[in-house]
Amino acid sequence: MNIDIKQISEGEESIVIRYRELTPTLNRIIGILNNGDNKLWGKSDGENCSVSLDEILYLETVDDKLFVYTGDKVVRIEGSLSSFMSGVSDDSFFRCSKSMIINLNHVSALRSLSSNRIDATLENGEHIMISRRFASDFRKLLRGYKQDEK
Amino acid sequence: MKNDKKLSLWEKYLTREIGIEFKACLYFFAILFFYCVYRVCSGHYDAQILHLAEMILTCYVIGYIQVYLFANFDEADKLGGKEIAGIIVCTCIYCLVSYFGNWFDKNIPVTEGLAAYLLVTYFCVFLIYRSKRRIDDKQLNEELRLFQTKHKKVPDEGK
Repeated sequence: MNIDIKQISEGEESIVIRYRELTPTLNRIIGILNNGDNKLWGKSDGENCSVSLDEILYLETVDDKLFVYTGDKVVRIEGSLSSFMSGVSDDSFFRCSKSMIINLNHVSALRSLSSNRIDATLENGEHIMISRRFASDFRKLLRGYKQDEK
Repeated sequence: MKNDKKLSLWEKYLTREIGIEFKACLYFFAILFFYCVYRVCSGHYDAQILHLAEMILTCYVIGYIQVYLFANFDEADKLGGKEIAGIIVCTCIYCLVSYFGNWFDKNIPVTEGLAAYLLVTYFCVFLIYRSKRRIDDKQLNEELRLFQTKHKKVPDEGK
């Protein structure tokens, strides 16, 4: 890939990206240029689109493909749940099972279930199960914030 | 996710085993109380060690049946068909062992009383676990609200 950088003394600053295929790296660059450190780029219904992190209800992997769910759309993005977690500094995202991450800011209610599992009801009414393996860390995350308050 | 967070087979086994130990102790003490009341009412002020050994052994075996065959029915979220079947099967096993083990001198009405007592005990244990979860619900939701407030994303009232 050629990188052509020119300094200009007058006129509007501009960046032109010419690509053959929209790769994850390009998506990230576009995200940064859009002042979107908190944006993800992907495809929904065959079209490129962006999703703000605040909008995300949860992320799920299905057949090794990663999908982002908001209240009204499903966007397929590149990467994995682990890479998403390592790239996001927001504590609101929690790995709640092997194949899912939920955004705690969009959880409307929690219900304790048998075998130390937790049922999370999202704002859109969907139920997400926090498995036994992750429930303990989930409680620690919530309690950590409670202790900060004291 | 780091692998050290994954429960090993040994840890999973140990967790279940501790649960079964707890159940065995709980139901052993419940049956022991019934047995002691029966002994006192029938004019005996001693207990047979063989009966006690049979009781604790039966409680262990039924603990395994309860956890591995009937999906831990006393800790279930709701009492469905499978859970009720589990309660009835386990109660029947206790009654058969008590009858053939001569815990209550093969007295049929007392054995029936044991069956009723165990059914009530199972139901009470189910209610206790359910109450515990409801208290846990309140605490979890309170902590969730606090977490969301910290992130300045408190949902609208009424949601």
